[in-house]
Amino acid sequence: MALRYVLMAATVVLFVVAGAIFVGRFWNIYQVMRKSRATIRTDQIGKRLISTIEQVFAHKRMLKVRYSGVLHLFIFSGFVVLLIDVVGSIGQVFSPGFSIGPVLGMIVDIWVGLVLIGVAMAVYQRAVIKPERYHGSDETDGYIILSIITCIVVGIVVHESFYPYAAGPIFGVKAVALSPMEFLAYGLSRIWVSLGWTGATAASIGYAVGYTMDILMIWVFLAYLPYSKHLHVFLAIPNIFVRKMGPHGELVTAPVPEEGIAIRSFRDLSWKDVLDLYTCTECGRCQAVCPAHAAGQPLSPKMVILELREALKKELSGEPPIPLAGGVVSQEELWACTTCGACMEACPVFIEHVPKIVGMRAALLEDGEIDKTAQKVLVGWDRQGNSFGQPLKKRPGWTKGLEISIKDARREPVDWLWFVGDFASYDPRIQDLTRLVARLLQQANVDFGILYDGESNSGNDALRIGEFGLFEALAQKNLEKLQEAEYNMIFTTDPHSLNALKNEYGKYGFHRPVKHYTEAFVDLIDQRKFDLKPLGIRATYHDPCYLGRWNRIFDAPRELMKRVGVDLVEMPRHGENSFCCGAGGGRIWMEEVGIKERPADQRIREALTLEGVTHFVMACPKDVAMFTAAVASTGNEGRLKVVDMAELLAEAAGLGVPDTLVAAR
Amino acid sequence: MRILVLSKSVPDLVEELALDEDNGELLHDDMTYVPSEWDDHALEEALLLKEEVGAEVTVLAVDTGDVDNMLFTALAKGADHAVKLTGDFDLATSNRKRAQAIANYLRDNTFDLVLSGVQAIDDIDGQIPAIVAGLLEWPHASVVTEVSIQGEQIHFRQEYGGGLQAEFSAQAPLVLGIQAARKPPRYASIAKVRQMMKSSTVDEIDASADTVPELEIRRFFKPVAAGHAEMIEGDPEEVADRIITILKERKLVRG
Amino acid sequence: MGSILVVTEILGGNISDTSRELLSKARELSQALSGEVVAVGFGSQAAQALAHIDADRAIAVTGQAVEQYLPLVYERSLLQALEQESPQLTMVANTTMGLDLGAGVAAGRGVPLVAYCNALTVDGDEIVAQSQVFAGKLLAEVVLPREEAVVTILPGSFPASMVEGHPTITAMEAASVPGMALIQILAPEKSDVDITRADILVSVGRGIQDPENLTLADELAEAIGGVVSCSRPVVDAGWLPKARQVGKSGQTVKPKLYLALGISGAPEHLQGMKDADLIIAANTDESASIMDVAHYGTTVDILDLMPALTERLRGE
Repeated sequence: MALRYVLMAATVVLFVVAGAIFVGRFWNIYQVMRKSRATIRTDQIGKRLISTIEQVFAHKRMLKVRYSGVLHLFIFSGFVVLLIDVVGSIGQVFSPGFSIGPVLGMIVDIWVGLVLIGVAMAVYQRAVIKPERYHGSDETDGYIILSIITCIVVGIVVHESFYPYAAGPIFGVKAVALSPMEFLAYGLSRIWVSLGWTGATAASIGYAVGYTMDILMIWVFLAYLPYSKHLHVFLAIPNIFVRKMGPHGELVTAPVPEEGIAIRSFRDLSWKDVLDLYTCTECGRCQAVCPAHAAGQPLSPKMVILELREALKKELSGEPPIPLAGGVVSQEELWACTTCGACMEACPVFIEHVPKIVGMRAALLEDGEIDKTAQKVLVGWDRQGNSFGQPLKKRPGWTKGLEISIKDARREPVDWLWFVGDFASYDPRIQDLTRLVARLLQQANVDFGILYDGESNSGNDALRIGEFGLFEALAQKNLEKLQEAEYNMIFTTDPHSLNALKNEYGKYGFHRPVKHYTEAFVDLIDQRKFDLKPLGIRATYHDPCYLGRWNRIFDAPRELMKRVGVDLVEMPRHGENSFCCGAGGGRIWMEEVGIKERPADQRIREALTLEGVTHFVMACPKDVAMFTAAVASTGNEGRLKVVDMAELLAEAAGLGVPDTLVAAR
Repeated sequence: MRILVLSKSVPDLVEELALDEDNGELLHDDMTYVPSEWDDHALEEALLLKEEVGAEVTVLAVDTGDVDNMLFTALAKGADHAVKLTGDFDLATSNRKRAQAIANYLRDNTFDLVLSGVQAIDDIDGQIPAIVAGLLEWPHASVVTEVSIQGEQIHFRQEYGGGLQAEFSAQAPLVLGIQAARKPPRYASIAKVRQMMKSSTVDEIDASADTVPELEIRRFFKPVAAGHAEMIEGDPEEVADRIITILKERKLVRG
Repeated sequence: MGSILVVTEILGGNISDTSRELLSKARELSQALSGEVVAVGFGSQAAQALAHIDADRAIAVTGQAVEQYLPLVYERSLLQALEQESPQLTMVANTTMGLDLGAGVAAGRGVPLVAYCNALTVDGDEIVAQSQVFAGKLLAEVVLPREEAVVTILPGSFPASMVEGHPTITAMEAASVPGMALIQILAPEKSDVDITRADILVSVGRGIQDPENLTLADELAEAIGGVVSCSRPVVDAGWLPKARQVGKSGQTVKPKLYLALGISGAPEHLQGMKDADLIIAANTDESASIMDVAHYGTTVDILDLMPALTERLRGE
């Protein structure tokens, strides 16, 4: 009977100690969050609940990486079952004779089995498969946690298996015999019987060991977890609940902090940013999909989070603070980001990497630190409204080669207002495509116009370089002109402009309909505005980050290809999992430091693995520049033709595609 | 160490220059003005000196009507003070007149070192730093790189043709025309410039407008346009001969 | 009428080619204005260097202080000479020394200056100067005052004077001014590959085909006294370091001569070199965009052209 009191005392004492440690840790985290910037994350409760259930209980994102997802689901489900066990075991000790019954006991045993399978899979993954994404993660911590979990679930079975023999000596009650339904405990008890370990002493020791492994270890776990990366056990669910809800492509949400978006210290992070740091489990899925990381650059989104977390830990322990931008996270890491958003798409707990990186870029920029070519581009946007260092007046220069002139939307009302963008306006190779789109619109008798030299760069990339002030200035210029114009819909060939118009301008009260040209053209085809003859080619399609991932426009380009008779073969990474060309976030203007293989080159190789695919189709002017170069530099001009969606449509509609375009590929 | 950086704005060559071709006059009001790029280098060099030896940097511009943004940008980059010389000045004001006003300012205010861009695209009547120095009878040097402060002495390098350089030391006061800073000029973010506009001020100083020697400019005109490349025909040997002749005519090779 | 004073630069005991250019124009003007040409030179070699130039008189400024170029001393000494001569026109080359002296003495004398002058003509009894401003986008025609003026002349504007003359040479003691001292002269480093500072660039593009062919470019660059640069595909291929890349993502260059060899002229590339003084392009495609910015073009194979040029340059 004395053993019972020992177990009871240990349970209570350890629980109080572990609980204090646990609460203390969360109090610290709360204190940091309290001092951080505000952000509104409790709107749209219904949607948030649904999304949380999807992600937590259905493991939606987790299962994208099948093996890890399944093993995690096994272990995760064990945590639910753990609750039954905690009630049952503590009940046994504190209220002699208490039992959860054979049915619940069986359920516990099933899940103990599942958890053990999950743990075995996890060990196999860490020790044998060794995915690259774990590089830089705390592997020891991983093994410690797996050991603790194993210890706990084994402990459950052990003390249950000894219970029938220990119930008398320890609790003074007569226990019901184990039901074969509790198959693990039952099986184990048969072994004790055959070994003769069913006497009072042996059974008491066995029970005590099992109970210690189970309940007492759970308390240890409780104290250890908040200090390990497995804090996600507690924070993942709230972090998913307070995830960013949208508009998805909006990087900076209103209200914009008065002091700007720069992140210099932890006080400049939002409380969600702080929560992100503690929630990260170091799974490295973000690292695995990062184009900068794949190119051999020093950036890993995971390491950015871990470096920040480590620095925060040091700062809280009283060490002098280190500047976050350029100190904790290096300049090279920050400038390597293409803002493609693959990391955020992959993160099972909805950590927001890109806004943090851009915020730290803004801090660097305020200190005057920026790639010199990119600096020229910023100056060009400020002075001439374009990245080409070309006169503002030349913006509509591409229209000169057209037979029919285009309406000036500033002077007369139009149905569609075309927001052309920098590359489509100024890059001589892409100008041919721009004229092609104009001719297609003219053929379909669309009433459309442009803003001529009233259009400026949308500011999408300026914002992502971290130059919020410049973005705002560009946005104001455009909004002023858009205000003057009369139109029913905006359409654009440029996904980056699309993103700004659709998502970033909303905070200034702009909410007009904006469509990508692939969407607009699908509508035109359905209205039988074109006489199309099927092309009969086999092609693959590259989802541009700012069209697909950030704006969820996946179907329209595919529909368009289907309507012009293209046999679409998907690359392994497509749709929301598309792989960035490397141009976004201002990267297209920055020096390529430490690049082993360019993302665009890797993408071309990916396309070349597809059986019989002869065409690589794009829907973004920056992609045209990137992939035309990539197909040439990898020496695959003969094997793969890099074409824009507009060329396909023009070809099918019987418009002559200019020689220059043919020459360009 | 007190450093004065001279800055001026010049027409943005990215945009078309506005010229009344009938009477050969520049239409100053129809052009966009941007800071002269050499002056940006002078400011950068001054800021580097500030970081190294704790110099106090003042940036100065003659008020030709469009200089505030340029001055606040310099403050955002790290200059300590901004001065605007006001008076009878506009975009057409000659360098000579601007230099005279600057020289007058320098007589009333103590500076150890004056840095300016070695030239600007529009200095038809001479480079401002050299004129300022000439008026004050201060020592000066042009085409300067790598300025450093070594005790009481100011060290600097001067560049000549063919990559030749010389290093000099001089005593304050000194005027230097900067060719290039040791680092490319830093960026001033729009947010920071705006912040400066709120938190800092530009000192306005009334500058006397003396009579200075002015040029009698008859007209500005565009040089005859070059157009598409003139194609050299023939086999490689003939083409090589022709190219050598062209290079000789232009004194790009000896002979 | 007034005299024309030419400030000469003496290198290795001889007056520079640019100084000869100034002298030829000075002689032409003096004939029209019936004045005399006075040359000024500095250093102990000046008397000898100026002995046979086409000038009426020459002033050799001598003294320890002008043995090496020192901006302050040269400027004060030149002011002494101008004080003595009061010429109608002072001509200085637009070199580093010219940039130091021209505006400085004009201010010191209280007379106007015309910078970046590339033509001088006599109109009646007035001298009209043409100034190249706004990076060569505009020219200005300026009437010089009859009394006194200074012009800084762009090198290469006039033919060099080859006429032999016998000027009367007078010596002048250099001004003595403390305050500035020469510490050292730094010769250009051999390994210096800053393509932005090179006067001549031999720039290769995709047309070079094979890294082994770069030897041809190296040889040509050495023969012509230039530096090898390239377009992006060459760097991408790892054939040349990034520091050699001309264009948007590389360096912006403004050399006196840009030889574009096998470069088609992607806009990113043109952006980095279109402002070169002289562009000669060799590309098999006559319609390549490089031809739109080049002054001269040819469609011969660069692998044939490069050795042909090297041969000629070495032969001279």
